[in-house]
Amino acid sequence: MRVTSLDLANFRNYAALHFEPPGGVCVLLGANAQGKSNLLEALSLLATGKSFRAAREADLVAEGTPLARIAARVHRAGGDVTAGCFITRVGEGARKRFVRNGRTVAYAHFLGTLAAVTFLPSDLHVVGGPPALRRRFLNAALAQCDRTYYRHHAAYTKVILQKNALLKSAAPDEKLLATYNAQLADSGSQIIGARAAYVRKLAAAAREVHARWVGPQPELGVRYLPNPTLPDGDESPGTVFAQLEKALAASASAEMLRRSALVGPHRDDMALELGGVALERYGSQGQQRTALLALKAAEYQLLAQAAGEPPLLLLDDVLSELDAQRRHAFMLSIEDCEQVFVTATDAPETLPRTATTVYEIRAGTVRRAPAAAAS
Amino acid sequence: MEYLAGPLSALIGELEKLPTIGPKTAARLAFYILSAPAEEAQALCRAILDVKDKVRFCSRCFSLTEDDPCAICRDPRRDGSKLCVVAEAKDVYAIERTASFRGRYHVLGGLISPMEGVGVDKLHIAELVQRVPAEGIQEVIVATNPNAEGESTALYVARILAPLAVTVTRLAYGLPIGGELDYADEVTLSRALEGRRPLS
Repeated sequence: MRVTSLDLANFRNYAALHFEPPGGVCVLLGANAQGKSNLLEALSLLATGKSFRAAREADLVAEGTPLARIAARVHRAGGDVTAGCFITRVGEGARKRFVRNGRTVAYAHFLGTLAAVTFLPSDLHVVGGPPALRRRFLNAALAQCDRTYYRHHAAYTKVILQKNALLKSAAPDEKLLATYNAQLADSGSQIIGARAAYVRKLAAAAREVHARWVGPQPELGVRYLPNPTLPDGDESPGTVFAQLEKALAASASAEMLRRSALVGPHRDDMALELGGVALERYGSQGQQRTALLALKAAEYQLLAQAAGEPPLLLLDDVLSELDAQRRHAFMLSIEDCEQVFVTATDAPETLPRTATTVYEIRAGTVRRAPAAAAS
Repeated sequence: MEYLAGPLSALIGELEKLPTIGPKTAARLAFYILSAPAEEAQALCRAILDVKDKVRFCSRCFSLTEDDPCAICRDPRRDGSKLCVVAEAKDVYAIERTASFRGRYHVLGGLISPMEGVGVDKLHIAELVQRVPAEGIQEVIVATNPNAEGESTALYVARILAPLAVTVTRLAYGLPIGGELDYADEVTLSRALEGRRPLS
């Protein structure tokens, strides 16, 4: 799929933008704080429904204006669709409204209109950062592949919040706790099952990509670490449900003591290893970055399979920390993608020659770069 | 609004506080009331005061009523073996409008939500547990909203009634009549599939 037009109004530093990006690799060049990442953020928001960096969604709306708008026309194998998002300031926060083909739709129904894989400099924290970041990676990737996953995850999250509030109350009602645990076993086992199957495919694809870039050794390993642990990796729905139910019952008194939900996929993790050693302790930043790029490339493959066509690839400032050899291999590997947006402060010397267009971003405007800068 | 007579702008201000009423509608209503006969305005005043003075909760089902117990609880033609459990009094009127249910009701007074400080003890659940054996109820139909809190509350009610000899059922999930299949979300559609019925 590819975006054939993008309109922004009062989105971050874009007062009004109409941009008709070409297919192939689209390089967005510009100094810092000109709006390169904001453009990727707008595209990513249409794919995932969330900003990839705003802690406060009201920040997406340009200062002094009440409403931001993102609208895109997406060329898909099955025909063109339009996708839009309106972000309105409401008090301190913001409300989002999603529009698909001119009709307002619920977020859960909007998901999948546009598919994208995003790579940001901050994604490097997926390697050494807290498990929550790896769960967020899995959630974002899976929700785009599988809308049912999103719904199970949303249901699970609501019940976890209620259960934690109950555990913190003066005298938690035991029957209510049991009710919540039954609901958590239900949606939680669906989440674990989906994550287990996804990570298995992700691991195989990432290992292969990594080997192609840097050779067969050291091998990249990706393993799902579910909470609770599954016996012999048995991921059949019945086993997962029984295991989670058992673990919830077993930890009931510990949960009462700690006043917090201790068991379930909200405590999951994913192990990333290089040559059998934890990636965060193994290598240089460059090696970690390469491993993570391989993971993203694998995510791209799986999303392409799920969507039935290649998704967008949004790369924010990824080239700066790769050495020349890796950068070259990487640029070659994205050459054949249907549409890629890459931001950079300087034009990379190893631009793929075919189907590459360079744009200059300056203070919220997008302009095709003169031919000299593109070569 | 200095250009308006004081009482008129006060009325507009009061009407604006009502849900779904914006400033323009409030002004239109205020001008209408001003131009209407005095009796009409008095009737409106009385109706508003009466609703505050005379409407209270039924001591049996916790629905809204003028006389206690309420008309539904008193009605001998109602099927006393079936009890429909709802979250709010307004849900009673939603189900009554269908005219398909001839049993009685039990209003919980909300949905369980520890996050908002609504624990089990804040709702009329203990009263429900007493009513079931006392009134010889055979079937409890839980008609809470199909959202997260509604679901948890329904499952909790089922769990707490389990030791009693009573059937607990839940409203079916399904497709809206007159809707379109391809606009239904996946969960609704898969629940509708699970709850399918033979045509012949």
